[in-house]
Amino acid sequence: MIMIPRLRLLALLAALFAAALAGCSAQQKKPPVSPAGGQTKADPKAILTPGDDLDEYTAVTIADPLEPLNRATFWVNHQLYRFLLRPVSKGYETVVPQPLRRGILNVFQNVEFPVRFVNDSLQGRFDRAGKETGRFVVNSVVGVGGFGRPADHIPALADVPPASTGQTFAKWGIGHGAYIVLPLLGPSSLRDTVGLAGDYVMNPVTWVGIFYGHWAWTIPVSVTDTVSIMPDKFGQYDAASQNSLDRYLALRSSYAQARAEAAKK
Amino acid sequence: MTSRLPILLAAAAALLVPRAEASTADAEARLQSAVGKVLAVAEKSSTPEKLAGDLRPILLDYISFDAMTRRAIGPGWRQFTPEQQKRAVQLFTTLIIRTYSDKFTPGEHPVVKYKAPVTPAPGRVEVPTSLLYNGSSYEVTYRLELENGWQITDVLLEGVSLIANYRSQFDAQFKKDGAKAVLAALAQAENK
Repeated sequence: MIMIPRLRLLALLAALFAAALAGCSAQQKKPPVSPAGGQTKADPKAILTPGDDLDEYTAVTIADPLEPLNRATFWVNHQLYRFLLRPVSKGYETVVPQPLRRGILNVFQNVEFPVRFVNDSLQGRFDRAGKETGRFVVNSVVGVGGFGRPADHIPALADVPPASTGQTFAKWGIGHGAYIVLPLLGPSSLRDTVGLAGDYVMNPVTWVGIFYGHWAWTIPVSVTDTVSIMPDKFGQYDAASQNSLDRYLALRSSYAQARAEAAKK
Repeated sequence: MTSRLPILLAAAAALLVPRAEASTADAEARLQSAVGKVLAVAEKSSTPEKLAGDLRPILLDYISFDAMTRRAIGPGWRQFTPEQQKRAVQLFTTLIIRTYSDKFTPGEHPVVKYKAPVTPAPGRVEVPTSLLYNGSSYEVTYRLELENGWQITDVLLEGVSLIANYRSQFDAQFKKDGAKAVLAALAQAENK
């Protein structure tokens, strides 16, 4: 009668042992690379360790049939950034202190709640849509119109991944189509450009003109929105393109990878 | 004999099973030690150029620049001569160290929070972290591999891999004129 549990225990231990051995031998199979990387050896293949998959970083790419046009737009954008928008961004950073800049960003992010709520819902992520609603209420009320982000300190409401229309399309299985560099806005794709239009329509900043009876009212609000996000955007642009061999390709790869990552969340 | 077998197996399992976990912990400890040393140096250095010089020995110790260069160049690496491979590693090492050093703003104190490590394959560990810097929060993931001890082989900033980013650029150069074009572009990027 006690044989059965004992046998089971034995089998379990044997399985554990086998698994541990397998794990061990798998590690041992990989020969150590010599400190110098082995470049002095005659056979270049000697540097490659077994299981060293040189192709593993080819996964995330994006089709770019419009490359000549995209490169042209990219160049124009780069000059615009350099001579016009970067100075504006730097000026904003100099004039407005960091806590205030962060607060302004928070306000706009809070106002964009419908974009996240609708897209979470369209993706069937009602738990996230609920959390976003909770965040919106807490940040608007306790955080004084979203200036502060007290919801970050509530574990149930913290760390909700962002949602956008482009991401919803990706979740629905729609591919990028083609890489497009948009004037001023920079890297995008056919799919994400349509997505941007969706985000734009759902963004209450767009509705300001309707509330105040004239479209021109949107301008100061949109300008503030744009300027407030510029330091972050230029930070991302620089992070992707610093010390690159080809700035255009560096930005394209970063864009493709970042979008693939966003779709995973 | 048969009655001893389970005990022996249990003892063996007890010895071997925690080793896999300890190994992941080793990788994490090694990363934390690297980040700790880097931050200590970064606080003292005044200019980006000086910082790059100060960080170099630490980064050479903790990062496998051989693996990074190999992966960034991709299958074309096999067609490099040993001398070209050596040159590529040299140039890419300096470029990566400079790229890394440029990210520090003097006077800023980053706060790093470590999250639970992931083991995608034996001998490989990914450590996700969140970095609070300049008032913004970034997701930074470190990839480590077991070579001679745990070495950092890639850094992902908000899901964007440093290696994959260079890979697309090296591929384009390699298609143009093989190893020569890759080395020329590397040397040019370094002199910018």
